[in-house]
Amino acid sequence: MYLLKYISKRLALMLVTFFIIVMGCFVLVKLLPNIPAEQFGKDMEVILARREKLGYNLPIIQQFWRFLKYAFQGDFGVSEQLYIGSEVWQIFVDKLPYTVAVNVYSIFLSIPLGLGLGIIAAIRKNKWQDHLISTGVMIFVSIPSFIYGFIVKYLLCYKLKWFEPLMDASQGPWSFRAFETMIPAILCLSFSSIAGFARYTRAELSEVLTSDYLLLARTKGLSRQQATIRHALRNSMVPIFPMILGEFISIMGGSLIIEQMFTIPGVGKLYINSVQATPPDYNFFMLDTVFYTFIGLFAGIIVDISYGIIDPRIRMGAR
Amino acid sequence: MTKKLLSFLLLGLFVLSLAGCGLLFPNKPTEGPTTQPTTQPSSQPTTAPTTVPGVERTIDFELEETGGQTEYSLDPTVLPNRPTKNPDASYTYNLASNGLPTAWNIHTYQSNASTLVLDYCEDSFYTFDFNEELNGYRILPAMASQMPVDVTEDYVGETWGIAQGDKGKAYKVTLRHDLKFEDGTPIKAVDFVESVKWLLNPQAANYRADSVYSGSFKIVNAESYFKGGTYAYGAFVSAAYGEDEYVYPTDWTYSEEGILQCNGKDVAIKVGTLGNWSPSATYGLERYAQAGYFGQPRTVVTVGEGEEAQEFVKYASEDLETVVWRTMEVVGEGEEADYVWYADNEGQPDLDNEVVVTDKPDSYYLGDPDEDDDAVAIAWANCPDPESVYAILLSSQDEKGYIQLTEELVKMVQDCVAILHGFEDVEAYAEDSGDYAYVEFEEMAFLGSTYEEVDFETVGIKVDPEDEYSIIFILEKELTGFYLNYSLCTSMYLVDTTLYESLIGESQGVYTNSYGTSVDTYKSFGPYKLTYFLKDSQITMEKNAQWYGYTLEENANNYWTTKIVVKQVEKASDRLNMFLRGSTDSYGLQAEDMNDYQSSDYTYYTEGDSTWFVAINPDFAAYESMQADAEPVTPGNKVYKTILAYKEFRMALSFSLDRANYALTLDPLGGVAKAVYGNMIISDPENGTAYRTTEQAKDVILKFWDLADEVGEDGIYETKEEAIESITGYDLAGAKTLFEEAYNKWVADGCISAQDIESGNWEIQIMIGQPGSGSSAYYNDGYVYLGRVWADAVTGTPLEGHLTFKQSAPLGTTDFSKYLKNNTVDVLFGVGWTGSALDPYGLMEAYVAPNYQYDPAWDTSSTMLDIEIGGYTLRASVFDWGKSALSGDTIKALIVEDGVLTNDYVMIHCGTTCKPEIRLDVLAAVEGAVLDQYDMIPTLLDASATLKGMKIKYGVEEYVFGVGRGGIKYMTFNYTDDEWAQYIANSDNLVDGVLPYKK
Repeated sequence: MYLLKYISKRLALMLVTFFIIVMGCFVLVKLLPNIPAEQFGKDMEVILARREKLGYNLPIIQQFWRFLKYAFQGDFGVSEQLYIGSEVWQIFVDKLPYTVAVNVYSIFLSIPLGLGLGIIAAIRKNKWQDHLISTGVMIFVSIPSFIYGFIVKYLLCYKLKWFEPLMDASQGPWSFRAFETMIPAILCLSFSSIAGFARYTRAELSEVLTSDYLLLARTKGLSRQQATIRHALRNSMVPIFPMILGEFISIMGGSLIIEQMFTIPGVGKLYINSVQATPPDYNFFMLDTVFYTFIGLFAGIIVDISYGIIDPRIRMGAR
Repeated sequence: MTKKLLSFLLLGLFVLSLAGCGLLFPNKPTEGPTTQPTTQPSSQPTTAPTTVPGVERTIDFELEETGGQTEYSLDPTVLPNRPTKNPDASYTYNLASNGLPTAWNIHTYQSNASTLVLDYCEDSFYTFDFNEELNGYRILPAMASQMPVDVTEDYVGETWGIAQGDKGKAYKVTLRHDLKFEDGTPIKAVDFVESVKWLLNPQAANYRADSVYSGSFKIVNAESYFKGGTYAYGAFVSAAYGEDEYVYPTDWTYSEEGILQCNGKDVAIKVGTLGNWSPSATYGLERYAQAGYFGQPRTVVTVGEGEEAQEFVKYASEDLETVVWRTMEVVGEGEEADYVWYADNEGQPDLDNEVVVTDKPDSYYLGDPDEDDDAVAIAWANCPDPESVYAILLSSQDEKGYIQLTEELVKMVQDCVAILHGFEDVEAYAEDSGDYAYVEFEEMAFLGSTYEEVDFETVGIKVDPEDEYSIIFILEKELTGFYLNYSLCTSMYLVDTTLYESLIGESQGVYTNSYGTSVDTYKSFGPYKLTYFLKDSQITMEKNAQWYGYTLEENANNYWTTKIVVKQVEKASDRLNMFLRGSTDSYGLQAEDMNDYQSSDYTYYTEGDSTWFVAINPDFAAYESMQADAEPVTPGNKVYKTILAYKEFRMALSFSLDRANYALTLDPLGGVAKAVYGNMIISDPENGTAYRTTEQAKDVILKFWDLADEVGEDGIYETKEEAIESITGYDLAGAKTLFEEAYNKWVADGCISAQDIESGNWEIQIMIGQPGSGSSAYYNDGYVYLGRVWADAVTGTPLEGHLTFKQSAPLGTTDFSKYLKNNTVDVLFGVGWTGSALDPYGLMEAYVAPNYQYDPAWDTSSTMLDIEIGGYTLRASVFDWGKSALSGDTIKALIVEDGVLTNDYVMIHCGTTCKPEIRLDVLAAVEGAVLDQYDMIPTLLDASATLKGMKIKYGVEEYVFGVGRGGIKYMTFNYTDDEWAQYIANSDNLVDGVLPYKK
């Protein structure tokens, strides 16, 4: 009951926050100066007529209601700048799989490696293995992914020629050809995730391994391996699992730099391109805003709720 | 707590939204302060020095009637000495581009990237091809079966507005009978007509719609059909100064709303255009107002008495509601007396509800900007006298800038025109000039009306009733020769109308059409068809078997390319790597690649049509004002700028620039610019003659660089070409001499105090503008480069150690020239004008018309220019020659005899119907005049360089305007795809793992 009430409250708050963010973004982007119609070197009437039809001359609040009205009907409009004539939703949906693919592969690589390294470091705490892993973790957590991009591309692609330097998307996002040519990008995206998972796992597991109940488990006859796997690891997963869940949800956010470096035709650049276009591609910008705001807020709720599901002792909303 | 936070957030957003809607506070001015222009343009002929009436003399300058169309040789071009292709082999042309098209609907496309698909997958009625000597171009039929035929006499009558005897207003274009879309659907004349109908669909507001009703190829009634039912302003009341065009007050009527009407249409003016006085000018009464024509007399209040007396002048703020005052005082005596405006709280008039100026002379705030966030900055240029007629006109503008004339406003416009003629008001003007004074404003007045909804039948494009393969074009304006054929080097917006119609939709209540956004939504009718498209990733085009061109005998050994694959690769280093490994067949070299590849046998240079300048706007008064406010680079120094107004100083800046080194440092692809126009500018489009190859153009360069006497038997150079080739633009010794001369004059003129000279605590500070967003390496490195070069150049002169530089904040990518025009910055570099490669005559306006000039301080209407034409020496202003005459307006040029100006004159124009030699003479003379100002110092020529892959071979080696190096049609391959794969797999052919393209 408490959980239901908690979820309802969070959802309500989420909707209010969502509305505020979307309205704020809409107003702000509409406040950006538009190019004067005269500057197109065209018949100004053509430009003005198009703007009139698009409702650009309405007060911003009216334009916002107009946007909401159509958005609720699933009509986010047509691109006026980046992909002239195409529905922005369709473009977004077409490109999203490429972003999802590279990020899913990256997470599938990161989770076992990150958790594994974290477990080794925790079990071998203060041994050379721990020092080696912790040093590596510090390095990989600190360096942004595009730096790996340069290194991976130069070393693995151009020097050693293990991989192709650019993605071949011609056979679709889930084809083997796509996967094969995406490996350098997957590696670049994975390094910091692996380091993050390893650091977090090590910290949590180290704490659990020194807890009283684990001592009890050992005294009742469990081997170190049995105690670690059955009790320590499971309990340390309580804070780690939501982190993994959050990573999964955020994969749709894309990676602007990596996508650009490895020519992955994903959604990474859509947001920034839509606002950098002159005039801004309003419909794209608002679709991106709606999508990412929703994903972000929803991920927060899912992560919070997952605590209660993973560990029944956690009762969300209980007084 | 959460609720409170949320409430605040919501309130904040609400306030922001209201602000966005303009409901909370009025819009702040978005432009910075502007200074008043020091020149007043005039398109009127120069008046004679005495009142003795002159005699008109005549010169034979009109081109003789040629009797119709130029005869073209229609024989196909066949390039000699080419290998023969293997008909069974595949030849793939691989490319990588930093951006792929996202849509290529020919009715709506806006980006140049779209032409990637259009160029390969579409065709045109006529096309550019090599001339028989392979050194120029000619226009040949492509989809058309013959050159256009003038059928004007068949369409004489009111329906089409064609009079008996008219020529060049209706043409028949006959199509080939074997035209097909990629799916085999035949293409006939009706498809073109229907396509234009869709282009002009009023619901669509297509971006390219104006292509058939603006410019020279103007189809009758196309605009009316497109705009049917909408209200718009069109022609001027008096479009051609014709006596019968004026509507006199007795025939004026007023609408129910009180708007003046002529011939049933509303009459309106725009303060930003001079109308028929200068149709292409984008300035109008506005500029005269800024020059102070309409703001006087201002309301002046004197406070105090005797020496204590101060005068306050009344101004209106931008909203024309708040009244502000500012003080002035007279400085100097006699002829040198001048008003100096300044801000002062002392002795302000005690008037209710009025704001007293408390800030800088050039701008002020309503409110205190240090304490009040709502303080509004207002520029003086936008503060006309609230009582002035101009201010009242300004307040009557609608959102598009039109002022519909009521009876009261008509009087004000008439007064404005009278003031420009030197009269107090229209009544005084009428005493001098009669009733014309009351109607002269009609020359700048637009006729506004609701476009009549017309049927497409009335639009001047139709299928020839006698031939379903012929299209009739009926034009509003006569068009012949090259420009007609050039206009028809298009497909006339052909689309597959069935597919097009099926893709019409509606989104958010607005018409949409997704034609040309994917393989499925597009049909080719050119040599290639789209077979694969992945957004932002790859485009593949393959041979279109339905294209008629492959059946032509002359193409048996053309179009070797079987497939074109273009991948999007944004990083240039990746594109280069792909190229070096043989994955692509061409690579556009970047500046950073030039060290490695500039001498490569595979590097091909292509000059563009732009010249980049160092631009200066030498306005002495503005410099005086700016130097007073400038912060010194070296603390304690006094800042000076006025020396920039001395021509010797600007010449010195020019001579101290080693252009080759400048290019190498900033733009290794660029060439050295020696004049206003580069080598790709065509002065005779009919024959493809490049302007710089003409004798007139060569003479201009030689004269400007002082080499005119160095050519020939007594000179250093045997030929003009040799002399021009030797020009580097760099003369450091000469520059030092000129710096010294400029300094001496400047000191002698009292522009710097003896005290400052003695103390040595002074600097000449040059503010260098930075176009763009601030991240451009070109402008950042260029600033450092110019500062270093110029500071070094003054070594050993009195200016040594006194030249300092500042870089402006980023000026944006579009309207940056205004900062030079209003002297906010002192120098811009890497700027100029682009386009108009086929019309250098029209482009000259950009250098001599105040609304375009980077240097409006140069008053081209008072700078006289003598040109030898028809045995006379003719004198007119640079503006009249360069703007009016070259664009076809007739000007009055006074005759100079034995160096003495007479009152005799010649009425002459140098438009398209003028003899080419005379046009060239005038163009070259105006170019010389522009160069001689040293306000626009040519530095670099736009150019690009491409690495050509070993796999392919261009049709010709030398670039030809309009045809390039032969394009896909004439490109051949040294290897088939299989052979190439083997070649690059063989490590013997590689050096360090890549193909050896380096020299």
